[in-house]
Amino acid sequence: MSKASKEASGSVSSVMRETAEKQYAAELAALAKVDDRERPPRWNLSPWAVVTYLMGGKLKDGTEISAKYVGNRRIIEIAVATLATDRALLLLGVPGTAKSWVSEHLAAAISGDSTLMVQGTAGTPEEAIRYGWNYALLLAKGPSREALVPGPVMRGMAEGKIVRVEELTRVPSEVQDTLITILSEKTMPIPELNEETRAVKGFNIIATANDRDRGVNELSSALKRRFSTVVLPVPDSMDDEVTVVHRRVGQIGKALELTGEVPAMDEIRRVVTIFRELRDGKSVDGKSKLKSPSGSMSTAEAISVVTSGMALASHFGDGKIKAADVASGIIGAIVKDPVQDKVVMQEYLETVVKERDGWKDLYRACKDVL
Amino acid sequence: MSGELHILGIRHHGPGSARMVSRALRAIKPDAVLIEGPADAADVVPLAAAAEMVPPVAILVYDPQAPSDASFYPFAEFSPEWQAIRWGLNNKAEVRFIDLPQSLRPRRVAKGDAVGEQDGVTAEAESLSPAAPRPDPLEALAHAAGFADGEAWWGRLIEERRGDDRPLEVFEAISEAMGSARAELGPTPHDPDEPAREAHMRRSIRAAIKEGYERIAVVCGAWHAPVLTAGSLKSIAAKSDEEIIKRLTKHKTAATWVPWTYDRLAYHSGYGAGVTSPGWYEHLWLNHDQITAKWLTKVARFMREEDLEASPASVIESVRLAESLAALRGRSIAGLDELSEATLSILCHGNPLPMRVIEQKLIVGNRLGEIPDHAPSVPLQRDLTAQQKSLRMKVSADGTELDLDLRKETDGLRSRLLHRLAVLGIPWGSLTADQKQRSSTFHEVWALQWKPEFAVAVIEAARWGNTVHDAAAACVQEQAERAGELSELTRLLDHVMLADLPGAIDALISRIQTLSAVAASIGGLMDALPPLARILRYGNVRKTDAALVEPLVAGLLARICAGLLPACGSLDDDAAEEMLGRLDAVSAALHTLARAEFTEPWRAELRKLGDADIHGLIAGRAWRVLLDAQECDADLAAARIALALSPGNDPGQASAWVEGFLSGSGAVLVHDARLLAIIDRWVCSLPAATFEQVCPIARRTFSTFARPERRMIGESLKRGLGATQQTASEGDDDYDPARGRLVDPVLRLILGEVLP
Repeated sequence: MSKASKEASGSVSSVMRETAEKQYAAELAALAKVDDRERPPRWNLSPWAVVTYLMGGKLKDGTEISAKYVGNRRIIEIAVATLATDRALLLLGVPGTAKSWVSEHLAAAISGDSTLMVQGTAGTPEEAIRYGWNYALLLAKGPSREALVPGPVMRGMAEGKIVRVEELTRVPSEVQDTLITILSEKTMPIPELNEETRAVKGFNIIATANDRDRGVNELSSALKRRFSTVVLPVPDSMDDEVTVVHRRVGQIGKALELTGEVPAMDEIRRVVTIFRELRDGKSVDGKSKLKSPSGSMSTAEAISVVTSGMALASHFGDGKIKAADVASGIIGAIVKDPVQDKVVMQEYLETVVKERDGWKDLYRACKDVL
Repeated sequence: MSGELHILGIRHHGPGSARMVSRALRAIKPDAVLIEGPADAADVVPLAAAAEMVPPVAILVYDPQAPSDASFYPFAEFSPEWQAIRWGLNNKAEVRFIDLPQSLRPRRVAKGDAVGEQDGVTAEAESLSPAAPRPDPLEALAHAAGFADGEAWWGRLIEERRGDDRPLEVFEAISEAMGSARAELGPTPHDPDEPAREAHMRRSIRAAIKEGYERIAVVCGAWHAPVLTAGSLKSIAAKSDEEIIKRLTKHKTAATWVPWTYDRLAYHSGYGAGVTSPGWYEHLWLNHDQITAKWLTKVARFMREEDLEASPASVIESVRLAESLAALRGRSIAGLDELSEATLSILCHGNPLPMRVIEQKLIVGNRLGEIPDHAPSVPLQRDLTAQQKSLRMKVSADGTELDLDLRKETDGLRSRLLHRLAVLGIPWGSLTADQKQRSSTFHEVWALQWKPEFAVAVIEAARWGNTVHDAAAACVQEQAERAGELSELTRLLDHVMLADLPGAIDALISRIQTLSAVAASIGGLMDALPPLARILRYGNVRKTDAALVEPLVAGLLARICAGLLPACGSLDDDAAEEMLGRLDAVSAALHTLARAEFTEPWRAELRKLGDADIHGLIAGRAWRVLLDAQECDADLAAARIALALSPGNDPGQASAWVEGFLSGSGAVLVHDARLLAIIDRWVCSLPAATFEQVCPIARRTFSTFARPERRMIGESLKRGLGATQQTASEGDDDYDPARGRLVDPVLRLILGEVLP
């Protein structure tokens, strides 16, 4: 055990981003130990333990489980309950609302494996979802099981694991519909071999999709019907969002081995305030109306603004994050369209940032970058 | 003590409580059922047994002298109190209300009429609130039991409880639990009436025991249960209770039943003591098994009715999700939360919009109760009910639309009734926005929606009279006497005409005459005229006697004409603006009437105005009206414009004149190039400094023109005014004959020598 964990921790330092099940192996093991509730077939944990893993909490034996998702517990409960009914789960939301994050952790907690993943793009072929062929073998031996290269979905079916499909709405419609048979019949036919792979209990699909982006392919109603849709909202309250940003920045900072300290809550609060104000189109005190930029102003972008600020501070500064370090990140996140967004930003700077107490440094820094 | 006493502590409007109360009553077989309800409603309680009584209904206790001081005690089918009343009446037991009578409670509205706040309802909901006091004892107990909130805890333990055959023990446990909660929280002075209420309840129980009832069941809010038990009756001296009650002062009250709605039962319409989901509670009450499946089927059927996709397969999936969510949360069956979440994520595909409709129509519901005809009510209510019946107008809590063709007799009567109710301040129907824009005079579209609080409005209106007609007429008369503004009266007259109240019209007209005789302000007179003219014009469509109005219009007009010129004598810009609006309104009103006896004097007056030395805005507009009415020809108008714009005049005055003359429509400039030329020349002749001063006003004037008008004016200016006027082109110096001759040979070549 100790050797294994050493190996695991050894790999943390070299791998840029660890999979969830490795990073939180200790928490998962602790949960499995105390979890005496009924588990669905091939689930590593009971639904209750999965919810606890995502929402965080303190176990009976005193182990502290960190919260992976900050927000409404009910949402996670619905997601887990859906997977427990062997119905597929569709996580819907605007970009940056932790859809992939939640799906990765769900897969890690349920199957102990978050690597079975299909990344949806406009060019995702049917093979990525079904299976491919090893053409050398195919030519040499003809169609056979050895020549067949199973995709993640097929492997998940065979092993009874959770498979993730990221950005399902980016996948072309005809490829999306491949999933219908898999979800309703729980089988994948291989006509070339006159065989099929039947799903083992425990198999399920978590898809993430984004309903507001450009160039999305709306799901057909036949496919939609096979998913339970859970909408992940942008964080409700300012405090929630600040917490999310603070926690993620800490984690990423550690992974990137940044020597700079995690910035104070106040600095994060400033960044989050800017993002929320521009996203909602009004100032926090509700007094003035603002124009919204073309970007989505998601929490994820706020996180990257703060981490890049941290990187700047630790490599070129004294490790302490300053207004100038986040300013370029803020401008970069907001000004996506060089003409319109610039106007939005300038207006925001002059009407809100300039007037606010204690924001003078940020105002000046942003002005310099703009 | 001889009597056997059972205290059934309940949660108001809880279906589980109701079920347990029924079961307990069947087990106890009491000969007296005492219920927490105002004792002065005793007379109307027996009506609950009537077959025509359909919940949700409410007992309304009000002060006949001040009906707005009213309290409602609502009951739904699934209210434990309702079940207890019904059981008692059907089993020949004595049914009594034992709570402190409304007559002994201090009046809440001391500051005149509090009506108008909250749609006229001052619903005193306290007595029916779920184990009322805050901090909620349920919360305390729920936290002790590890539940997030009291609602969930109570729901789980009591409301969703099924197949329990020992209800009495549960009630004992409730009483005990509440007893310890009360001890924990101490006396909560949340409800100042509470000591008196509980004293009264104890007194009533003692009286019942004394009268020799053997098995007494008391149905009350769980909070009160511990202080009503046999033990408490002993430990709290009867004398001290008597003293508390003696201290109260009494006033007169009356009670009746009124129909209620589920919407009103729900929290979100500002009624503090309700339940969030009457529709769901009704479902729980009506169905004993397969609650989840039946509810989701209901949801799916509803969605299909609304043209939303909801396949049986999705229903099955939703049931499974709801059940697995319930299991995850450690509940034995799925509650409303789980069902709603399953509905949202499967049936609605995560879209919150259909969910909102489901919430409104199914979870809350829009059921409206019915009460028997012989329930005591004010004569006005009876008259209204009779009229609703004879006109076949359905009273419903749903918003419905009523399209009336006033040429038909029934529809005319319906419209009349609605207008009369509106006069009385009972807005059962409101004219739709659609209607307001439409100009047809024999067509009305009403949106009808009955609200429970109208019952109070009816009782309040009852002081005016015993029939809708009498009440409305009397109401108008009083309003007429109170009104100090002429325009207020004429607007009222407009309503009265629509409501067809001939008796009130006479009074109103004489009042208008009195007021107009003494009215000092011409403005008031001018505001009063247009509604009257409208009545005169359209009144006959409704078979009302418009002849009554004619002398009034004539009288008003005479006064206006007499006073108009002096009134326009010295106006500043703002006052002139105001006068302009009135001038337009009166002109338009008289124009639609198209009667020479009115238009002649008016136009004569306008001519005087136009020539007088008054604010340019008014003078300009006077000429414009005359020109539009073809009272003066274009030559005269051109002369007037030229005069007004002649260089000697103050440019400010001149531009105001132009604004008065032109604003609203530029058609004259399009059709008469001469007028355009005069204005054009005036603008061109202005020195730079003056131009700057005039420019904004001119711009404001021209911006009121329709776009095509502006374009046409612009085009004709671009063409040069000469395009229509030969004289102007002669002075065109830009033409150079020498250069023109250069193209001559080419043109000849092309055209074949046809040029001269």
